[in-house]
Amino acid sequence: MNPLIKHWQFTLAGIFIIVALFSIIFYGVSLGIDFKGGTLYQIELQKEVTPAEISKITNIIQQRIDPSGLRGDVLSPVGGKYIMIQTAETNPTELEKIESRIRQQGKFEAALNGELLFTGDEIRKVQRKDGYGVSKIGTQYEWVLPFILDEKAAKTFAQKTFHQCNAISFNTQGRPIYDCERTIFFLDKPNALVIISEDQYDLDSEELNLGNNKANIPQGTSIEEVIEDSRVNVIIYDDLNGLDQETLSTVLKITDQAIISSDLAPKIANDLNAAGFIVSIIEPNESLPWIWTVLNAKQIIRLSEGITNEDVADFSQAKIFAQLSISGTRETAEIAFNDLEELAILLESGSLPTPVKSISKETISPALGKSFFNDILLMGLIALLTVAAVIVIRYKKISLAIPIFATVLSEPLILIGILSLPFIRQPLDLAAFAGIIAAIGAGVDSEIVIVDEIFGRKKKENYSLIQKLKEGLFIITTSALTIIAVMGSIVLFSRSMPGLSNLYGFAVATILGALIGVLVTRPAFTKIVEIVFEKTERKN
Amino acid sequence: MNDIYTNNYKKILIIPILALIPLLFFSMISPGLKLGIELTGGNVLIIRSENELLASDIEEILTSDFDLSNVKVSTINSPNSHGAYIEYSKSEKVLATEELISNAQLLIDEEKDAESIAASVLAIKTLTGKELSFDNPKTALIAAQDELGIENEAFAKSLQTVLSQKLDLGENAEFQRREVSPTLGKASLDSGIFIVLISFIFLVIVIFISFRQLIPTVGIVQAMIYDVIAACAGMALFNIPFSLLTLSTILMVIGYSVDTDIMLTSRMLKDKEGTAGERATESMKTGLTMTGTTMAALISMLIVSYIYHIDVIFQVAIILFSGLIGDTVSTWTTNVSILMWFVERKAKK
Repeated sequence: MNPLIKHWQFTLAGIFIIVALFSIIFYGVSLGIDFKGGTLYQIELQKEVTPAEISKITNIIQQRIDPSGLRGDVLSPVGGKYIMIQTAETNPTELEKIESRIRQQGKFEAALNGELLFTGDEIRKVQRKDGYGVSKIGTQYEWVLPFILDEKAAKTFAQKTFHQCNAISFNTQGRPIYDCERTIFFLDKPNALVIISEDQYDLDSEELNLGNNKANIPQGTSIEEVIEDSRVNVIIYDDLNGLDQETLSTVLKITDQAIISSDLAPKIANDLNAAGFIVSIIEPNESLPWIWTVLNAKQIIRLSEGITNEDVADFSQAKIFAQLSISGTRETAEIAFNDLEELAILLESGSLPTPVKSISKETISPALGKSFFNDILLMGLIALLTVAAVIVIRYKKISLAIPIFATVLSEPLILIGILSLPFIRQPLDLAAFAGIIAAIGAGVDSEIVIVDEIFGRKKKENYSLIQKLKEGLFIITTSALTIIAVMGSIVLFSRSMPGLSNLYGFAVATILGALIGVLVTRPAFTKIVEIVFEKTERKN
Repeated sequence: MNDIYTNNYKKILIIPILALIPLLFFSMISPGLKLGIELTGGNVLIIRSENELLASDIEEILTSDFDLSNVKVSTINSPNSHGAYIEYSKSEKVLATEELISNAQLLIDEEKDAESIAASVLAIKTLTGKELSFDNPKTALIAAQDELGIENEAFAKSLQTVLSQKLDLGENAEFQRREVSPTLGKASLDSGIFIVLISFIFLVIVIFISFRQLIPTVGIVQAMIYDVIAACAGMALFNIPFSLLTLSTILMVIGYSVDTDIMLTSRMLKDKEGTAGERATESMKTGLTMTGTTMAALISMLIVSYIYHIDVIFQVAIILFSGLIGDTVSTWTTNVSILMWFVERKAKK
């Protein structure tokens, strides 16, 4: 039988090599920001908070800095006081925007009939105790969110909502049933000129009309109402008329920012640039209407007849409510509670329950990252060649040097392959590469031990091959265990202690490297050396 | 060279003891090990350019144009590119404003509206000189945060452009920025120390369980400590600050150096063939091959990372190299002597 199939050691190593190649080819290697470029933020909160609280804060920040998830920012809490953010952004202006969004609360606005109803500053307090919560009504779950407006805002609110409900019919007891106007809530509404293509407009119009249960957009929402309430300059672009230069120059006096739908790029973007605008091109989002995400509209809330003073004829007799509440019903308690939480965060202007104490950050430009990566590969190659040269010189036996070198090559290959598997997906950063280099070094050490145990030591001639193997195995297992012990502490604590998360990739790579060596590649290597040894013995 | 140890093992102990003096001197006294900004907090800007950079020029620009204090610049020149490593503190103005805003935030939570407004107003005044008045604490806070945002953005933008222009960096210049708050630095340092202690304890446990004898365990642990001291001396000599990266490299040094010690201990205690001296000498051949191969790879890494200016790998290679030199000394003089004495004593019994 072919010795390559006869021994399980070769089969096992072979399977791992194939899986690794498969993983690298089909899933690709996930590179860290050291190589891709990007920014790493470490946010420190004023005080230690509970796990539930910190995941809530992480959520709020995610909502504020990357609401549509388009940029793919990754946020993860570390312990109860720190949050890490990884973003691909490196432009200083954009970074400053992200940072100020993390630091400060957002700008909340409620609008009605194209007019401002109240802002986040005018909300004195969101009541998180009295009346707040979810209760079961029939088969549905009702959530209630009470909040208090300041005096001035309460008065404006009463004025603007006065008689905003119309009786459309009467119920069986003869009481009127009302249809009321709707307010739209915005958080961080853009201060920019928005240009939408006709196609996108039609698409959005249809989507809004259909409604979106998940995003709380009611059926029959009109796109005109959303745009009107946002009070943002929105231009619906059609090819016939093009851009009106006069409108542009009027808008330019207010803002030099412009947002356009991606189907209008690059032509409109160039025209706007020429006119003096800084243009952001926004791709359509699969799950939400484009205009909804761009305007940062968050909720549509129907007024209720209880607060619109339908019972009095004249505003002078109207009742002014300082305490208001918003309610809704949902199918399950969980969804109801999520809706309630989301709305509470919105009314609190996305402000964090515990303020941020400090923000630390590190930025690496993409070009620098790319050159790092090429350099690392070159360096790895040179290091491997050096190792090969030393081995050939030391053992003067090509039949030993080749297996050593093959093992040295296969260990990082398997390691990178496993790290790239979809359920592990450990991004390779510089630290992880340092770990891979460490694993290669440890591998070479072990292979030398094995060869010397079996071959090199003349004094051990009376020992059987098995005894020699046993001792070699003991040495490499113990040294692998020590690596796992040393690095294990980093893995254990990196998710709960600040700073260590940078070393996670390093620790995982070294531990996995040690395991792969002991369990997969070194058994196969030992078998090869055994076979080579027996052949040499027979010759003698 | 079948047995170089039997007659000499007590005499050679003089080597590690003598070597320890300069190692301790380098790492503790001069040049001494320094903490990196990751662990102390601070701001760093790293520039890479095709043109040569002068530390004095950069210092001049940062202090005069940007009102930054504590500017420290070191330049690195390699055949392929030029770099500058710039440490600076934020301007007094910005630091004071940050403090005030943070206070204003806390005061809102405590429902002290008037005090909060006062803090925000003062923050705006400190930063811009403008005297504004507000009747809502949240509006005041947002205004103050806006001003700080504008100031920070302007700084971030102009820092790179002004340096590029004044230093004539060329189009391919690359910037890398790092800002670490002092509190995060302190917390990271604490985690680092904690991790070193925990790793050390885990390691001692694994070694003790493997050999189940006190003296050999002590032999391995002393060698490990010796290697770490050697690595620290190397860091101090090459002006590599102590950071989380170097911490992980030191853990790597421990992992590597323990390999040879385990091999030596295993052969000394478990083999029965030959005299203890012969076994030690045989082990040394294997051990030197192991260390020699790693060192050869490290030298090639050092050369490449120097030419291509990859600081991270250069630092890692220097630390590992120093650690391995330490390991060669500690394993093949100290640990060998401890084991020789231990084995001979057992034989006598």
